[in-house]
Amino acid sequence: MIAALLRRRRVLAGPLAVVAVAVVVGSVLFMAGGAAHGQTGQSLLVSTNSSDILAGQTLYDTHCESCHGYEGKGGVTSAPALVSVGAAAADFYLTTGRMPLNNPANQALRHHPYFDRTQIRQLDAYIAALPGITGDGPPGPAIPTVAPLCSSPSGSGGSGGSGNRSGSGSGCVTLSEGESGFALNCAECHQAAGSGGMLSKGNVIPTLRNANITQVAEAMRVGPKPMPVFGPKEISNKEMSAIAHYVEYLHQPASPGGLRISGFGPIAEGFVGIVFGFGILLFAVRMIGTRG
Amino acid sequence: MSTTQERADTQKRFTLAKKGFDEADDRFASSRWFVSVLDKIFPDHWSFMVGEIALDSLILLILTGVYLTFFFIPNSRDVVYAPTAGHVYAPLVGQHMSEAYQSVLNISFNVRFGLLMRQAHHWAALVFLAAVVFHLCRIFFTGAFRKPRETNWIIGLTLWMIVMLEGFTGYSLPDDLLSGTGIRVIYSVLEGIPFVGTWITYDLWGGRYPGTTFITRLFIVHEFIFPALIVGLLSAHLMILWRQKHTDFPGPGKTETNIRGSRVWPQYAMKAGGLAMIVSGVIFALAGLVQINPVWIYGPYTPYTVSTGSTPDWYVAWLDGAVRLWPHWEFRSFGHEIANPFFPGLLIPGVVFTLMYLWPVVDRKIYNDHERHNLLDRPRDKPFRTGVGVAAIVFFADLTLATGDDILSNNLHIPFERILEVLQYGVVIGPVAGFLIAYKACKALQRTDAHPIRHPVGGMIVRAADGSYHTLGEAHAPHAGEDGYVEVEKAEEHAEEHAEGR
Amino acid sequence: MTILDDPGQGGSREPGAGGGAEPGDQPTEGLAFDPRHFGIAPDEPWPDDVPRGQDDSHWRFEHDPGRARIAELRIAACWIVSLLASIGIAVVYVTGAQNQASGILWALAFLGIGVGLILWARDLLPGHDVIASRGRHDASDEGNRWAVAESFARGLEPIARRPFLFKLLGAVGGVFGIAALFPLASLGPRPDRNLYHTKWGRGVRAVTEDGRPLRPSDLPVNGILTVFPEGGMEDALAPTLLINLGDAPFEIPPSRTNWNIGGIVAFSKICTHAGCPAGLYNVQTHQLVCPCHQSTFDVLEDCKPVFGPAPRSLPQLPITTDTEGYIVARSDYTQPVGPGFWNRG
Repeated sequence: MIAALLRRRRVLAGPLAVVAVAVVVGSVLFMAGGAAHGQTGQSLLVSTNSSDILAGQTLYDTHCESCHGYEGKGGVTSAPALVSVGAAAADFYLTTGRMPLNNPANQALRHHPYFDRTQIRQLDAYIAALPGITGDGPPGPAIPTVAPLCSSPSGSGGSGGSGNRSGSGSGCVTLSEGESGFALNCAECHQAAGSGGMLSKGNVIPTLRNANITQVAEAMRVGPKPMPVFGPKEISNKEMSAIAHYVEYLHQPASPGGLRISGFGPIAEGFVGIVFGFGILLFAVRMIGTRG
Repeated sequence: MSTTQERADTQKRFTLAKKGFDEADDRFASSRWFVSVLDKIFPDHWSFMVGEIALDSLILLILTGVYLTFFFIPNSRDVVYAPTAGHVYAPLVGQHMSEAYQSVLNISFNVRFGLLMRQAHHWAALVFLAAVVFHLCRIFFTGAFRKPRETNWIIGLTLWMIVMLEGFTGYSLPDDLLSGTGIRVIYSVLEGIPFVGTWITYDLWGGRYPGTTFITRLFIVHEFIFPALIVGLLSAHLMILWRQKHTDFPGPGKTETNIRGSRVWPQYAMKAGGLAMIVSGVIFALAGLVQINPVWIYGPYTPYTVSTGSTPDWYVAWLDGAVRLWPHWEFRSFGHEIANPFFPGLLIPGVVFTLMYLWPVVDRKIYNDHERHNLLDRPRDKPFRTGVGVAAIVFFADLTLATGDDILSNNLHIPFERILEVLQYGVVIGPVAGFLIAYKACKALQRTDAHPIRHPVGGMIVRAADGSYHTLGEAHAPHAGEDGYVEVEKAEEHAEEHAEGR
Repeated sequence: MTILDDPGQGGSREPGAGGGAEPGDQPTEGLAFDPRHFGIAPDEPWPDDVPRGQDDSHWRFEHDPGRARIAELRIAACWIVSLLASIGIAVVYVTGAQNQASGILWALAFLGIGVGLILWARDLLPGHDVIASRGRHDASDEGNRWAVAESFARGLEPIARRPFLFKLLGAVGGVFGIAALFPLASLGPRPDRNLYHTKWGRGVRAVTEDGRPLRPSDLPVNGILTVFPEGGMEDALAPTLLINLGDAPFEIPPSRTNWNIGGIVAFSKICTHAGCPAGLYNVQTHQLVCPCHQSTFDVLEDCKPVFGPAPRSLPQLPITTDTEGYIVARSDYTQPVGPGFWNRG
């Protein structure tokens, strides 16, 4: 009786295994596509409150002055002067954990932020106030304000056939404007899906998968080296906002078709095709055919 | 054991079959041919089925490809993406794009099973080429290209070349950023051909790049000219295989004049049909679960945009790798120039393919072997040939890696300059090292085989069913008999002399 | 999990032992089929000129009816999976054809049939190990070889005796073959001076992708922007990079001293190697990298190639400002833009 049951289980073993593998693989891949959505960026007004500036100065003197010098005038090392970099630069480098940096000769790369939210606000306030304190240098770019995303994909202007490239005048931006600007100005370095790449001399082009809307906008205005600067006359605030929204969209794009390996391009697809497509089939023919 | 009922059923089936074949025979005198078809024997070794994987993926490619042609619009006319019904891909709304690209978006978003078919088509192409390359390697390393099968070697190589081009034309059709970049590079390679380069590009593109006709023409090449060539050459390939019968590995009871395996009817047919279904199943599993070439992320092509990490599909990556590794040389004189991409893009593959086409002749000279062969070599028994094959694999692998230089660089945190420099040395040194290592390894394996404990001198002692013992000649020793050890050694010595002589 | 054991197991015979199932042998388990046993075939010898092989009529579970039954059920189960998946395909289609679900169902439908067929062939079919003569398909006998050569030579003789006509035919064929290529020439225009020119020219404004003209002050230090000749967006060779080098020291040949506006220089975006847009700009090293083949150009040194396969510098576009202060070209590029070609010289 037991033997018969066992046998019956064997009957179903083959087909069940086929189903089971498919279900497991499928559900894993389904789940991989359903992670949490990134937070929307909020506009950050830099504090001009003197207590914040003072607290920022204290933090600066402790953590930054050894490289960037007294009152951001530049230090003995290759670290740049900070007098007129503006709050955008301070906020970008601090919220992405690029600063503080052990060795100024290294490329600043993304890390977990060293300072907490309040400390960063205070440091932002201090850096923004530096031109006033030192009395030399123009004020740097403020933290950019990102326009909201339009509710309809074609934008409130309803430009329809005329294309997306002219500003519609209203305050909101569309993903389409963002895609277009991203393709022209960003994809050549950061890759079409925002997965990053390499520059010459070993300089890393970071992935944009962790960048939030404000950080993207800040990066465009600041030009964190080796990235170039994109000023407001090159890329308007509207286009900047659209690009920032599109970068956030790329974190979880409405991109059907299964596990996303687009960030790695056709070579990765070839790897999957050879290993998981042809490889499995090779395994199958090893079983079907004779060996010897 | 059979019951009367069973016998009656059998008789009925036989009578019916007889009637059917009689009808055919009355018209075509076909009975003897049918017998040879049904009773045909195919060897069962697993590696012989890789060619079938290629065939099965090709059939799937044709079926899914035909389906896609119903929806694809091969036109580079500029349109503005403004779908009025169905799924709308928001990040592209209002953008200028070609009608071709728009139709691919439509297939992907608004045709039910359209995306699945598109992805199956692309995955099938990747699997197809993998099977083709494996099959080619198997033929090479086992000496299956030797007389009388040189013709099929040549047809096979031609097929490989065409399917690579067919794959690349397919990659280029959607007119997304990736495919447009690929077309740009091909244009530059063709433009550099001496004497006729500019004429060829102006004819193919109908003028200066990018022109307005290329997608339409490429479509005709992709869905008519190349497929027709592939189907024609493949038919010849299979008919020759059928006529010459399949090769087999040497083994007990196998000789140059017999063949051992399963009959076509029904054993082989059933296995082949099953394998075709499994191939299709695996490809559709990939098509469902793993995204491939999301053209909507790459966006429409313009000549002034590009994405980093732009590479061709893996099977032509070796060509792109050659283009990356070729130094900054080009030749200019008398008011003309041979542009840089011509050398790695056309000259190197030309030389590589010529060498491969000639290999059966070279092989015959090296081993001074003009006999017909139906039994295969074990790779270790032909160290020189195996070495050459390994060298070729290292060469192709090095070039393919060069195409992945930016991905390697990104993941290994090594500047791509260093990676490319290493691969530049590697493309010269690697094949030589690969040859030497493979050659030594083959020799070592031969010695292991010849060890008396593994293969007792004087044959094997066998116990028969009646309990008696007797010695079975030397038929089992790998180096004895027709592929005798002595002969192999001689041939190898000859090969070495030949190599040193050059 | 092996799908096929050594096929020799079922009925391996000694190599070269010959024998096997003679036509008169008893059928095994009613599976080896020979119509003569059923009295439905003429009792005459089979033609022996067709190599038919010696049958191995043994099959895997022939002595184990229980396992044969299980094998049958297992195959049936595979096909039921396929059947259910096929119904699932219909359901998924109606409900919108979600890609992953569709893919799994299509795969199951195929795999169910396929695995079932393989199992059937493995477990319930006899005859996996058959030996036959290869026959004479790779070489004919000498008589036939003589015959074909004779037939051909006989026909050739009257042709070969008129060598003049024979050679003339060859020559005419060759010339006509070339003439027959002329329709192909209609595919495109003659290569013209088009490859040497772009839509840039004296006083043509540099505009952004959305058509805005630019003033030098619009480009911050370390800024980079792709610009086009006004009204010439469609020119694939015209895209140009405006780069503001600030006060970084850059070298350009003495003949081009007035080609820049302060620190702002303009270079072709089209790589001189294979024509991709060479737009990866590293402001630390002032290098442009082409993402296609990693050609690297040093902007501070006249965009000369410093790494990779590019053979030439990126051409520089001479720029100045017009009366309204917008950036304009002084002229077209002074050399062909983009990759090399035969007539370039």
